[in-house]
Amino acid sequence: MTLLIVSDLQVSIGGVPILRDIDLSVDRGKVLGIVGESGSGKSMTAYSIMRLLPAGSSAAGRIELAGQSLFALTEPQMCEVRGRDIGMIFQEPMTALNPLQSIGDQVAETIKIHTDVTRAEARRITLETLAKVELPPAEFPPSRFPHELSGGQRQRVVIAMAIALRPKLLIADEPTTALDVTTQAQLLKLLKRLVDEDDMGLILISHDLAVVANTADDIAVMRDGVVLDAGSVRRIFTGNRHPYTTELLEASTHVPASNVPIPKVDEAEVKRAVPLLEVRDLVREYKLPRGGLFKPVRYLRAVDEVSFSIHRGENVGLVGESGCGKSTLTRAILGLEPIQGGAVLLDGQSVLHGMERGLDQHRKMQVVFQDPYGSFNPRHTVARLVTEPLYALEVQPDKAQRAAALAEVLERVGLLSSDRDKYIHEFSGGQRQRIAIARALISRPSLIILDEAVSALDVSIRARILDLLVELSSSFDIAYLFISHDLSVVRSVTDRVLVMKNGRIVEQGETEAVFKRPEHPYTRSLIESVPKLSYVV
Amino acid sequence: MRSKRNLIIGAFLCTVFLAAACVSFLWTPYDVTQLNIANKFKPPGYPHMLGTDHFGRDIFSMLMVGARTSIAVALVAVSIGILFGVPLGLFAAANRNTLIDEIIMRGNDLVFAFPALLIAIMITAVFGPGALNAIIAIGIFNIPVFARLSRAAALSLWERDFILSARVSGKSGFRISVEHILPNLLNLLLVQGTIQFSLGVLAEAGLSFVGLGAQPPIPSWGRMLAESQTFFSFASHVVIFPGLAIVLTVLGLNLLGDGLRDYFDPRLRQNMPQKKNQSSVV
Amino acid sequence: MIRFIARRLLSLALTLLIASVIIFLALEVVPGDPASVMLGVNAQADTVAALKEELGLNVAKPVRYLNWVTGMLTGDFGISYTYRTPVRDMIADRMVISFPLALYALLLSTLIAFPAGIIAATKRGAVADLSVMGTTQLGIAIPNFWFAMILVSLFAIKLQWFSAGGFPGWEAGFGAGIKALTLPAIALALPQASILARVMRSSLLDTLGEDFIRTARAKGLTARQALWHHALRNALIPVLTIIGLQFSFLLAGAIIVENVFYLPGLGRLIFQGITQRDLIVVESVVMLLVFAVVMVTFLVDIAYAAVDPRLRRRM
Repeated sequence: MTLLIVSDLQVSIGGVPILRDIDLSVDRGKVLGIVGESGSGKSMTAYSIMRLLPAGSSAAGRIELAGQSLFALTEPQMCEVRGRDIGMIFQEPMTALNPLQSIGDQVAETIKIHTDVTRAEARRITLETLAKVELPPAEFPPSRFPHELSGGQRQRVVIAMAIALRPKLLIADEPTTALDVTTQAQLLKLLKRLVDEDDMGLILISHDLAVVANTADDIAVMRDGVVLDAGSVRRIFTGNRHPYTTELLEASTHVPASNVPIPKVDEAEVKRAVPLLEVRDLVREYKLPRGGLFKPVRYLRAVDEVSFSIHRGENVGLVGESGCGKSTLTRAILGLEPIQGGAVLLDGQSVLHGMERGLDQHRKMQVVFQDPYGSFNPRHTVARLVTEPLYALEVQPDKAQRAAALAEVLERVGLLSSDRDKYIHEFSGGQRQRIAIARALISRPSLIILDEAVSALDVSIRARILDLLVELSSSFDIAYLFISHDLSVVRSVTDRVLVMKNGRIVEQGETEAVFKRPEHPYTRSLIESVPKLSYVV
Repeated sequence: MRSKRNLIIGAFLCTVFLAAACVSFLWTPYDVTQLNIANKFKPPGYPHMLGTDHFGRDIFSMLMVGARTSIAVALVAVSIGILFGVPLGLFAAANRNTLIDEIIMRGNDLVFAFPALLIAIMITAVFGPGALNAIIAIGIFNIPVFARLSRAAALSLWERDFILSARVSGKSGFRISVEHILPNLLNLLLVQGTIQFSLGVLAEAGLSFVGLGAQPPIPSWGRMLAESQTFFSFASHVVIFPGLAIVLTVLGLNLLGDGLRDYFDPRLRQNMPQKKNQSSVV
Repeated sequence: MIRFIARRLLSLALTLLIASVIIFLALEVVPGDPASVMLGVNAQADTVAALKEELGLNVAKPVRYLNWVTGMLTGDFGISYTYRTPVRDMIADRMVISFPLALYALLLSTLIAFPAGIIAATKRGAVADLSVMGTTQLGIAIPNFWFAMILVSLFAIKLQWFSAGGFPGWEAGFGAGIKALTLPAIALALPQASILARVMRSSLLDTLGEDFIRTARAKGLTARQALWHHALRNALIPVLTIIGLQFSFLLAGAIIVENVFYLPGLGRLIFQGITQRDLIVVESVVMLLVFAVVMVTFLVDIAYAAVDPRLRRRM
């Protein structure tokens, strides 16, 4: 039986059309996946169903939930529908809960505003619901506050609030995007289970085709406010599909082709040569706040005796979930933070924290960060931004040399040399990441650290940046340390991979070998958690 | 746009008072040092636009000269605040989480325990009253305001990737503070400076009102009010106009500050996710 | 929680200690010795010496500092150079006017600002919001002592609802005392209420944009319920900071406004002390005011912890 019907939905904000001619339907006990890149209108579709569109927007068309037209309801009536008949989960579990209220109270609130049950009864339902989302009251008493829970646990609380009254429809807007892969796998399993148990309909919204592919029964692909392609998962993946869907699929599974075949290196020769970067028993500790005035100072080991090396021209991946210490390790390697033990050697020379080290080390090692918006000083021109690393050259180049170097790197990363006088806000996310790469490239480094450098990009743009990176690596003989939480990306571009957990490297080896035959149980669970498209493609 | 309107009205009012202060050096309708008791308490009209005070002096001319005092005191006080506060804040941020940072911030807290008026009272108790005291008192009070503001803003900038990139390029903390951090604080400082300026005008008026600020014969809006307090019942214009001058100047500066903030805001929001800035409102 | 309070108390004590040193040093560099000032130019050398002895001015400065501080701790603020009466009694007489006045003004300002700020935030862009924003813009710009003068001319001289100044004393009854403090309190409260209303509005608007408000709406709360149950308490956190800061502004403002209303409060005492070079009075009153400001900051910190569980745990 069809639970939700959206037909001919039109939404505009301030007169600008955001959604056009949207037709969707969800059945009881079924999962509809909505996929699209940022700005495709997938979240707006969800808000239209909830009738929680931002101020200044207008919607037209038909939305029916179990035969009841939602657009015909008054706002007070709609308030009764929200939370009782439709539950919703959001992307950001860290901010989705009221920080000042206990989790039990927040779940109970859903029950209290929609029913007349007694306080004791509301509490019973709350405990039951928390248990249902796998937050057993014994371990997670309802008196806990949100800040005492991890992101995944908070998302479970949000789910509990949404399903406490067994709604007919659940809308999950990028519910796992902010979470680690293992947590993501668990949550998707939980959602699937809830759908089956309560015979709910679920709309699962994601930018990640793979996430949706493994959970949904039907899929709708959106772009620019229009549903381009809709149908069963089977048809979308095996039958006729819209060219854009094909494009998305290919970008998601994209493996950059290396234009130079990887030369077979002589193992023995590599061993003799001094590695480009050698990290030896690296320890980075943080002082924890004292338990009391006279209690001993305690330390947190964020990086615990980590050792590895990177050779010239080699692409090494570093994977691990948030909090595993990979960012701290990056900062320690870059010499941005003091280390408490071990050594970092770049070309055999020790990388020290602070100003003591030679400029040459700065020249040889560059970095590209994740956030294409925060990586640049908004007040400087591209020319000034990109040439900043030239500061680290022994002999400062003159104006003409600078201009030539700038023009060359801009061209290499696929930008125009006329872009040099523009400011950063004039570029898109993908272009900004190209500028970041140009900046990393200009001092002719031997090693570039890519810290989640493609994580914030849409799949199609990501694929192009990965191509660029691979091409640059082979033509400039640059080694990469490729840090990412995204295993499929790491797999597609690296020669070797390091797996990090709780500040330690638990497994390292050639990328394909590690992915095919993971030895450490943690590596195995990581790889299993990755949503895969390969089986359907 | 409302923000544009704020900006225009604010800039207009500020320009009027600034112009009045500047012109008063060269020309005023009447000589403010000339006493003419026979001419006292003339109501507003012709020939005295805003009337005369208890010594028969032209109030309009006095207000023009008084603007000089207000603007000079507030401007110098804000400059003291910026000159000492901003480097302190930047230095603390560059040495964040160290003892020196802690000392600077606790020092700021300490100054905050002394409202500007108390500082002025202590200085007056020691050196006697005067406009210079008002400047020093308001200036000292402004230092922690700017130190806190620039430290907080600089701290969030230090965590930004573009600063990390600069550090990877081997630039020193001082160089990064000057090259990257300070330019990104300018908007914020301009807005806050305008607001502190208006608070300075208010504070100067208050201090002069109780006799801790400008002393005769330097004209001051606050002192004009103090002197005319007893005549309010029969010559209200001697109280109304100096008060209005203060209100309009402060209003103008506040509108200018708000307008500037709104004007910069899209940029601020886009490039510097700065959380609400508390100190701006007190 | 207890550890947090203990730590705050420790830093509070340290602040007060340093403040006392600053106040003492600042006022002790004053040239001239109070005993000669008090007795005039023609005084006998031995009379001056005797007075110095009596006032405790003969000992070395560090010892005098210690005497001053330990004296204050036991409630002994020394003896006024001018009136030869205990400073403690003078302060006690004046305090019962200044502190109630500041509290009264704080109460008024909060009572005006909260509803105004909430209405403005919920009716953003509507007439109510615009009028609140316009009024508060003006309110911030009005100097409280000028506003006080206008209030006097309007309500005391023209309408004769209140007396123009003076204080009958609390002996005359609570009502009479409050009545005498009403105009000064309104004059003090207006600019502070304007600031507070604006902070309340912007804080509430920020909070209403937070993700958890969206979550609450998705649960089925009406916009109004989401505001009262979730937004308000979160919006209170910055508002508390401002209320704490305002207390010190109100105390300082009271010193000025007391002048307009001829209220025999701490402000008048301090000015008297300055003109008569009765420095021990100035020193003690300044110290007392600093103590009040620091104390309020401490209370605000505690209030934070009461509102915000995240702080409670970090303690």
